[in-house]
Amino acid sequence: MEKQQFDFIGKSFDIKNIGKATGKEIYTCDVNIPGQLYAVVLRSPFPHAEIKKIDYSQAEKMGAICISGDDVPDILYNERIVSIPEKTYRDRTVLPKDKVRHVGEAVAACAAETEEEAFMALKKIKVEWGKKWRPLINLDKAMDPDALQIYDHVYLGEERVDINNNIACERNVDVGDIEEGFKEADEIVERTFSTQRVYHMQMETKSAVCVPEADGGITVWTTSQGIHNVRILLGNIFNIPLSKVNVKRTTLGGSFGSSIQMNSITPICVALALKAKRSVKLVTTREEDIYDHSKYPLKTILKIGAKKDGTLTAAHCRVWVEIGGHNIQAYPYLGCVAGWFASLYKWKNLKYEGTAVYTNKVPSCAMQGYGNPQINFAVESLIDILAEKLDMDPIEIRLKNYVGKGDEFWGQGPTVRSIIRSCGVEEMLIEGSKLAGWDKRTLPSKKKGDIRRGIGVARGFHTSGTGGPNPGEVIDYSGATIKINEDGSVDVLTALMDHGGGTWDAGAKVVAEVLKVPYSKVSIYSGVDTRTTVFDVNTHATRGVYCGCGAIKYVAEKVKEILLNYAATLFKDLPENLELTCNEELGQAVICPRGIPQNYMTLGEIAEHAHITSWGTIAHTATLRQKNCPPCFITHFVEVEVNTKTGEIKVPRAVIMGDSGTIINPDLWEGQIIGAFSRGLGFSLLEETKYDLNNGKLECNGMITDYKIPTTIDMPKVGSITVRSAHTYEPTGPFGAKGMGEAALSSVGSAVAIAIYNAIGIRFYELPITPEKVLKALKEKEGR
Amino acid sequence: MEDYIVELTVNGERISSPVKPEESLLKFLRRNGFTEVKCGCEKGECGTCTVIINKKTVKSCIMLALQARGKEIWTAKGLEKQELGRKLQESFVNTGAIQCGFCTPGIIVTAKNYLDQNPIPDKGEIKKAISGNLCRCTGYKKIVDAIYAVAVENQKSI
Repeated sequence: MEKQQFDFIGKSFDIKNIGKATGKEIYTCDVNIPGQLYAVVLRSPFPHAEIKKIDYSQAEKMGAICISGDDVPDILYNERIVSIPEKTYRDRTVLPKDKVRHVGEAVAACAAETEEEAFMALKKIKVEWGKKWRPLINLDKAMDPDALQIYDHVYLGEERVDINNNIACERNVDVGDIEEGFKEADEIVERTFSTQRVYHMQMETKSAVCVPEADGGITVWTTSQGIHNVRILLGNIFNIPLSKVNVKRTTLGGSFGSSIQMNSITPICVALALKAKRSVKLVTTREEDIYDHSKYPLKTILKIGAKKDGTLTAAHCRVWVEIGGHNIQAYPYLGCVAGWFASLYKWKNLKYEGTAVYTNKVPSCAMQGYGNPQINFAVESLIDILAEKLDMDPIEIRLKNYVGKGDEFWGQGPTVRSIIRSCGVEEMLIEGSKLAGWDKRTLPSKKKGDIRRGIGVARGFHTSGTGGPNPGEVIDYSGATIKINEDGSVDVLTALMDHGGGTWDAGAKVVAEVLKVPYSKVSIYSGVDTRTTVFDVNTHATRGVYCGCGAIKYVAEKVKEILLNYAATLFKDLPENLELTCNEELGQAVICPRGIPQNYMTLGEIAEHAHITSWGTIAHTATLRQKNCPPCFITHFVEVEVNTKTGEIKVPRAVIMGDSGTIINPDLWEGQIIGAFSRGLGFSLLEETKYDLNNGKLECNGMITDYKIPTTIDMPKVGSITVRSAHTYEPTGPFGAKGMGEAALSSVGSAVAIAIYNAIGIRFYELPITPEKVLKALKEKEGR
Repeated sequence: MEDYIVELTVNGERISSPVKPEESLLKFLRRNGFTEVKCGCEKGECGTCTVIINKKTVKSCIMLALQARGKEIWTAKGLEKQELGRKLQESFVNTGAIQCGFCTPGIIVTAKNYLDQNPIPDKGEIKKAISGNLCRCTGYKKIVDAIYAVAVENQKSI
């Protein structure tokens, strides 16, 4: 398809973030209701212990309202309802009824007139603990047949599932015959890789505010990536008709996947408000937040085979993920990891075996990439090793085997697949290598001195949404109401959430483009809730622009049709003879008979006419399911500088190539790529939430003083990160767009590790690559 | 414990409010409606609660409200009233330096106070000046660019 000329798409505007710059933006923690109570949560100091009895009578004597496991509904639920019900594991209640399964798990909560009073009351709650067990921290110990069972049984949909060896779920995929494939191979390589637990460290901690309404309903503000799922869950748990549960869409202070599921504190806040019959506000501390969610760690044993010319013949991938004390989304996670693995290269024959294991740690959940950066680290590292063995250029082997245009992409595991219609992989590898000076790359053996530089390349992708020609195991649709106001300005009511990456900006630009209304006259930013919007599944899976704005475009086009039909009655002409354009001088959309611009009417005049003649509002509401899941591609060329005396690694330079089809918000697109690069450096070099094996507590004690994330100083010099876009157009996307968000992180860790190898000749199979690990490896190498 | 009365100036307005001796300045400000002062960690680590007190930046979570008695405090909302503050806010918006925005008020406050005292820094100096403010979304580049753009404008007007 030809590239189109746009009025608004792809242009940077004075975006409407001024509320954030001036501090006027309201986040959940800023919502205050007159007469609200303040809630605090009592959390388990033990990793695995029986709760015998909780006595909060002393706390209530102080005037506090308290709840424990006995006060919450018996409903077992899963806080993430993005997958279809029969593929959703359920293992938890609002508060635990019999035992705790990780340090920091909520056991009781209380609300009082002030936060101080609530804390004083909390101290009076007596928990009588029963048996206490040593925590199961590492994967192998948890899977030991003699290990204590963290769960006896859970539910998969309505079906009871017995848990054995702490295995929460498994997922296997076979394509072709790997035995035959490996027989064809001239070279076979196999390695074990592991990635660590990482804390999301979104700047805003989880919060909730609940107002119990006079009609028995509730109004809720909460940090969430999808308000409708929170509405459905709260309605089901507390047995309130969904029409009486209203969840407000509130600006998110970062998320990175940590609020795809309903946060654990949200129903606690609701339970307190319902018991108190008063509004309740609950804001968690940073320590509570670190003990609430984590990135999924992954152990991978990967074996791949190739012919002498670099053609891949087979791959066998075994992965284990330890998921902590609750199964939030391990089953879809294992499916997605299979999909990311299967869609990177044409393996021809593949076998995938995935196992998820309960441990006594913080429950893991999605964090930018949903397994993609983890499996990418294994695949891209091993492809680099294979290229070296075959004496092939790392770029050449990738060009020979990548999954691209016309091939099938698994956008959300084996059940969500579609054909790739736009692909910038080749352009990004070739152009990126020129920008990065790839031809000047030297072998590790040629490096000398204490400070050694190396360069590495890795490529990745992510899906744009979870749609396919056939609906798979994942629910995916979005919607909007769009109405033209009496002055020609436009309101967009959508539940679509923006994490800060510019999803709402993109939505406003898409509407502006369709209706030719100046961007500044489109309002999408505030004032909606579940009651005023149709369903939107969630802003996850990099679906904001492709699916969310895809639906918005669909609705805007319907509004345009209604508008032109109405205008045709005013012009006494046929709608197809009319032309809609943006008149910059007037600052309005205008309609005229095609070719007769002087006979125009402004959108404001037309809308006003519809108003005063009581014709009605020019508006439309609809939902839309995207039927593809196009991959957005990324390629990272990273240069590292390894100090062989201290083990420190610096990143002096990076060239990052992205393929999002048409780019709707260029500034924020680049900003997302650079932001993901900084989180990727944290993932590669710095971050890990380590646990004490004896008491199951975090070694950082929940303090960010001891959980380091990159600061300005850890980032490359400003100006030494080059970001470029591929020239592609996604025919199924809104104005040719697909996503970027999660793709941007997927190959950072791989490129850094490969660059380190190029610098010092040592392969690292485990992230993060800390100075200690570098020094140890250098010593071992010298010792040989 | 007994309440004390704290009188201070926030964004040019006089505030008088009872406080408990242990109340942090952060909690005091948020309780009095200055929700632009964000709470990210309450340990002095993240910088979201940064305010300017008597021309110094302070992480308001690790200062007691009582210690701020009689002082002149500026928050992100108040910077709108000052030319440099307003320029920074606009520059952050125009540069695309804001994503989730939760760290933004604290960083703009830090940048404003820094530029007041160092009107024409280079990018490396800006990086150091804001290294006490964490941002998880942006990777900092556009934040540095946004502050630098204002510094360049300063240079022209000097």
